[in-house]
Amino acid sequence: MSELQERGIEIQIRDLGVTFQDNAGHDVQALTGVNFDIYKGEFISLLGPSGCGKTTLLRTIADLQEPTEGTVRISGMTPKEIRLQQKFGFVFQQPVLFDWRTVKKNVELPLEIMYQSKEDRSKRADEMLEMVGLKNFSDHFPRQLSGGMQQRVNIARAFGIRPEILLMDEPFSALDEFTKEKLHEDLLRIWRQTNKTIVFVTHNIQEAVFLSDRICVLSPHPGRLSAIVDVDLPRPRTLEMKESPRFTELVYEVRGKFEGGSV
Amino acid sequence: MTQKRKRPKSLYQRIKENTKIQTSATVILPVLLGVVIVVLWQTQTLHHLFRTDTFTLPLLDRIGSILFDNIDKIWENVVATMVVALAGLGLGSLLGYGIAMLAALCPKIGKGGLSVIGAFASIPVVALAPVMNNWTRDISDIASVRSMVAKILVVMLVAAANMGLNAYRGLTELKPYSMDLMATYAAKKRTTFLKLQLPNSVPYIFVALKVSVPASIMTAIVSEYFAEYIIGVGRQIRENIVLSQYSTAWAYIATACIMGVVSYVALMIVQSILLRKYH
Repeated sequence: MSELQERGIEIQIRDLGVTFQDNAGHDVQALTGVNFDIYKGEFISLLGPSGCGKTTLLRTIADLQEPTEGTVRISGMTPKEIRLQQKFGFVFQQPVLFDWRTVKKNVELPLEIMYQSKEDRSKRADEMLEMVGLKNFSDHFPRQLSGGMQQRVNIARAFGIRPEILLMDEPFSALDEFTKEKLHEDLLRIWRQTNKTIVFVTHNIQEAVFLSDRICVLSPHPGRLSAIVDVDLPRPRTLEMKESPRFTELVYEVRGKFEGGSV
Repeated sequence: MTQKRKRPKSLYQRIKENTKIQTSATVILPVLLGVVIVVLWQTQTLHHLFRTDTFTLPLLDRIGSILFDNIDKIWENVVATMVVALAGLGLGSLLGYGIAMLAALCPKIGKGGLSVIGAFASIPVVALAPVMNNWTRDISDIASVRSMVAKILVVMLVAAANMGLNAYRGLTELKPYSMDLMATYAAKKRTTFLKLQLPNSVPYIFVALKVSVPASIMTAIVSEYFAEYIIGVGRQIRENIVLSQYSTAWAYIATACIMGVVSYVALMIVQSILLRKYH
C-alpha cells in the first residue's frame, strides 16, 4: 500500500453524489457522499450488487455523467478536461465493435479520431492485436469472432490510444468462466506492461479479489461507499492463488463489508 | 451382437432435408406457376374463366408482336418514364436523407420536418398529381418541361418520405454505448456522424430503396395519367385504352412490369455488392 501511496494520487473524489429523476419525476439517489482517492498506476475495483451506483461512479469519472453534488478531480483537472484531452480508455459491458469495420479498423477507430497518420495507426493496431493474441484475425469482421474474442478487440482498442486511465465497466460479465480466467491473466499482463491506472467495475467478489490492489465496496439504496479493502496477495497473480487460504479469507472479508452483512 | 437397423426415411423427409432440392424449389415453383398462366392465357382458358374475349385480353403472342413492332416508340416512352422516376427517386431520397440528418443532429428543428414529410406522403398520388400540375403551371412556357417538373415533384415526395423515415432510424438506432464510446474519445459531432451514424444508416438506406424504387416507377406512371404533356408508359396505357387499342395498351402494361422487375433486380445487385460488409 505504502508503495502505491508514494506514487501519488491520480483521482480525487470528494462528497460525490448523483441524483436521477425516474419516469414519474421522483428523485432517485444513485450515489451519495462518496469520498476516496485513486493512486497512480493502481488497479482498483468498484464492487457491489446491482443498484449500488458503481457504474454511475465510473461514468462520472469518465465525464459521461454529471455529478449532482461534490467533485471529481483527475491530476487536478476536471473529468471533462481529461476527456477532451483523450486520456480515457473506456471498456463497456458490451464490445461495441462497429460491424462494418474489420477487427483492425475497429482498433484504429480512436486513432483515426485523434488524427494519427495511417502508418502509425496501422502499426499501433498490429501491436495491440498481437498483445491480445488476435494478430491472425485482423481482417475478420466482428461477427466472425466469438464473444471472448470481441471483448479482446475491445481491450486492444482501449489500450491502443495509450490512455492515462482505463475505465472498465463489467467487461467480462457476459463471458464463460474459462474465457474469463484467460482474459483476467491477459489483462493483468497488459496492465503490468503499460503501468496505467485501471478502475474496474464488477459484481463478482472473486474477480475483484483476484485482479485488484484495492476494492471499493459499495452498498445500494442509496449507493454509497461502505469500505475499502486492501488486497495483499503478491504480484504477479497466478490462477493457483485462487486456491490459497489468503484468497478465501479476503473473499470472506470483502463479503462481510456489505452493509447488512450479506448481499 | 445385434445392430440396430436404421429406419428408412420417407420420401417426404428426404425432400424436406435436402437443401439442394429446397433451393431449386424456390426457383422452379414460381417459374412453373408462370408457365401454367401462360398456357391458360394462350389457350384462352383464362378468357372462358373470366368471361372475356381476345379483344379486351389479347393473346400473348399478339402482345409480344406489338411490343417488338413498336419497340422504338415504346423505348422513347420508357426513357421518359424512367427519367421522371429516377430524377424523383434521386432528388427525393437526398431530400429525405437531409431531413433525417437534421432530425438526428438537431431534433428540435428536424423532428417536425419528419412529421410534415410523413403527412405529405400519406396523400394519395391520384390527389397529389393534379395539384402539382396546377402548381407548376408558371414554371416554364414549354408544356413538356412543366409537365415533367410536376411528375418529378410527385415522385420526389413519395421517395423523400420513405427515405426520411428509414434513414432517421438508421442514424439513431445505434448499438448500445456506441455514442458513449465516441464521447470518451471526445469525438466531434461531425466525426461521430461520419464514422458511426452514416455507416450505420447504410442498410436502412437500402430498406428505403427496396420500397422506393418500385414505388417511384409506379408513381411516375400514375402521375403521367394526369400530366398535361402526353408521354410516358403510363400515359400510353391510358391513351390506348381510351382508343380501345387493348393490344397496344397491354404491350405497355407488360413494359411497365419489365421496368419494375429490371430496376428491382438492379437494386438487389448493387445492394449485394455494397452491403457485403454488413452481413
